Amino acid sequence: MSGSASPPGLVPTVVRLKLSLLRNGLRQSGGRRAAYVASAVVTLLFAALQLLGLIALRGHDHAVSLVVLLAAVLGLGWAVMPLFFPSGDETLDPTRLVMLPLRPRPLVRALLAASLVGIGPLFTLLMLVGSVVSVAHGAAAWAVGVLAVALGLLVCVALARAVAAANIRLLTSRKGRDLAVLSGLVIAIGAQVVNFGAQRLGTSGLGQLDPAADVLRWLPPASAIGAVDSVSEGAYGVAAAQLAVSAGAVALLVRAWTRSLTRLMISPDGSTLQAAEPAARERRSSGLGRLLPGGRTGTVMERGLRYIWRDPKTKAAWVTSLAIGLIVPVLNALQGTGSIYFACFAAGMLGIQMYNQFGQDTSAFWMVAMTISSRRDAYVELRARALALLLITLPYATLVTVLTTAMLGDWSKLPEALGLSLALLGAMLATGAWTSARFPYSIPQEGYKNVAPGQAGLAWIAIFGGMVSAALLCAPVIAVTIWLHVTEGGDSWTWLLLPGGAVYGAAITLLGLRLAAPRTATRLPEILTAVSKG
Amino acid sequence: MTSVRVRNLWKRFGQQVAVAGIDLDLPSGKFIGLVGPNGAGKTTTLSMVTGLLRPDQGSVEVVGHDVWRDPVEVKARIGVLPEGLRLFERLSGRELLGYSGRLRGLPGPEVDKRATQLLDVLDLAGAQHKLVVDYSTGMRKKIGLASALLHNPEVLFLDEPFEGVDPVSAQIIRGVLERYTASGATVVFSSHVMELVESLCDWVAVLAAGRIRAHGTLEEVRGSAPSLQRAFLELVGAQGRDTGSHLDWLGGGAAR
Repeated sequence: MSGSASPPGLVPTVVRLKLSLLRNGLRQSGGRRAAYVASAVVTLLFAALQLLGLIALRGHDHAVSLVVLLAAVLGLGWAVMPLFFPSGDETLDPTRLVMLPLRPRPLVRALLAASLVGIGPLFTLLMLVGSVVSVAHGAAAWAVGVLAVALGLLVCVALARAVAAANIRLLTSRKGRDLAVLSGLVIAIGAQVVNFGAQRLGTSGLGQLDPAADVLRWLPPASAIGAVDSVSEGAYGVAAAQLAVSAGAVALLVRAWTRSLTRLMISPDGSTLQAAEPAARERRSSGLGRLLPGGRTGTVMERGLRYIWRDPKTKAAWVTSLAIGLIVPVLNALQGTGSIYFACFAAGMLGIQMYNQFGQDTSAFWMVAMTISSRRDAYVELRARALALLLITLPYATLVTVLTTAMLGDWSKLPEALGLSLALLGAMLATGAWTSARFPYSIPQEGYKNVAPGQAGLAWIAIFGGMVSAALLCAPVIAVTIWLHVTEGGDSWTWLLLPGGAVYGAAITLLGLRLAAPRTATRLPEILTAVSKG
Repeated sequence: MTSVRVRNLWKRFGQQVAVAGIDLDLPSGKFIGLVGPNGAGKTTTLSMVTGLLRPDQGSVEVVGHDVWRDPVEVKARIGVLPEGLRLFERLSGRELLGYSGRLRGLPGPEVDKRATQLLDVLDLAGAQHKLVVDYSTGMRKKIGLASALLHNPEVLFLDEPFEGVDPVSAQIIRGVLERYTASGATVVFSSHVMELVESLCDWVAVLAAGRIRAHGTLEEVRGSAPSLQRAFLELVGAQGRDTGSHLDWLGGGAAR
């Protein structure tokens, strides 16, 4: 670039930067490109369907309630997204621009323009257009609609930017990155809430939304859509006020953003502050170590249990397993469709934690590999990991089974349900130990992905193959259960399934560990290579 | 006496040959430097020697025991600080030492006693209850070194132990290593900082493009060259590369 010409506008430069970042991100690997294209296609298809739905809603009595709510949800999504996916947009991180000789005001304009590029803004645009189509009646409403779409989109984008800039210190620190890992959990729970809400709406109609919509139509970005509806109904004064609220929100957000941007550019960043921090508070050593057995077993168990609490990835996996393991049987029992056998779900979900044990270690597995020099070492290592898991899983699975039984009032079936749970747990531990040794794969520590690029197939084989084998391994216990139920007088012997299932589960776990140990001991370098990607 | 004996060691990654037939005998009781430019195969070689990476071909013996056939004897006798691999970072510094010492089968009270001394000597006592994930690069190298020394190994393998380490931490690490070799133990470390190798090592092997270019005592490898840096540049064929002639616009005040 020649230096003599007047400098090109900042807006096109930053927009081009955003496009190059997108393009280069895709160039890194074929898998990533495929994933991006696939997600783009899915998003746009979803957007197109929503658009059609919104257009079909035109003329419906409660259409405005729905679209106002939709706009509010979109706004919420934009506010929350940068907290969970900070790595999604590199131009989002203003600390990368600190060293450039730029004034905040032009920078804000340019970054705002760049924010409008991407799938997210396109999706939002389609939603807003659909919303306007479904409520706009009359030429004036259409005209206001164009303005409303622009304002709504700007509110969303400025909101995301303002939130990100205000929290950049959090986002670039370790705590922030730990938080990002829990995002999957929030999304899963959010999906449950949406699901529940949609079911209620399905049974009692859109009218339910009206009271909420009456408030939301004054809140940006929903206020912009509210204005279109007001014009359609001839309430021009209200419409003007709603538009003013939206425009005011954009102005306020941009101001707040500019202010935190200026502050960021002239003050040290999070990493410096953290390093300057005095030594952290005393971490009190737990009495846990004294309760556990000595030697390798206790050492491995203690680290495993600490990691469940301290490592965000492990924690997220555990919380998900614990929550789903409880929710599925209990909710089914609540709705009256439950069966006591659903309680086995808890054992199954928690047993999954035994899978990919070494992947959970990440490349720190070398510290383990350096100390395993015989089959015996490998066996003790795997057994200790299974024991740490059982310490939580056994009481929890029992609790869930008893709880489900209590809700269904079917106490006579408690022994067999518990027995089945224990057998399933044993089968999961056995297959988990074996697949950990045979099909290890990396779990990337940054971001929300659980499989490194190129290892997705491996992960699928390990988890699904393992689960199918676990189910097959349980077959004898299941067969006995059925046999006792169909045989005359067999019902009085079903209590035998509790000790039977427990012994079967324990035996099969030991067998699995015995088979996995020599594989682990001989494949240490291969396992290390497999878990060190990403 | 030989502490490490390497014969015909090969490793390929796809098309790229990372290590192309290395033969090496490292003397025991010495401070040994493995030097070479980036991508020369230092990390790959050290990983294969310590049993963390399986070679395509060749054999490695450490203190007389084959690394792949006799891991029980070898793993108890070596300490390793790899480069580019994590530690268990969600443990505090003290917990990490306790964990790695007990995994190696040392009795608990002994581990705690040694950990306290190592944390003191390496100036980590103030940060011992902080999680390793919050440590700086220098602190990570030091805690990694502590964990490699905890079981008092005969041979210590360190991959780039001074990379990204501040001068104060570097001096501390140096002091610990010098005391350790003075007692007859062997240290093998890789680096691309020649001044450092020259001031620390008494035995050097030069690695470039997966092959050994020279090895022997510092004096033998340096030969008639004024410094190890010069000798090294000649050995890897980078001597006399003209760096300046195309950058005629660079320098002197006028912006742009």
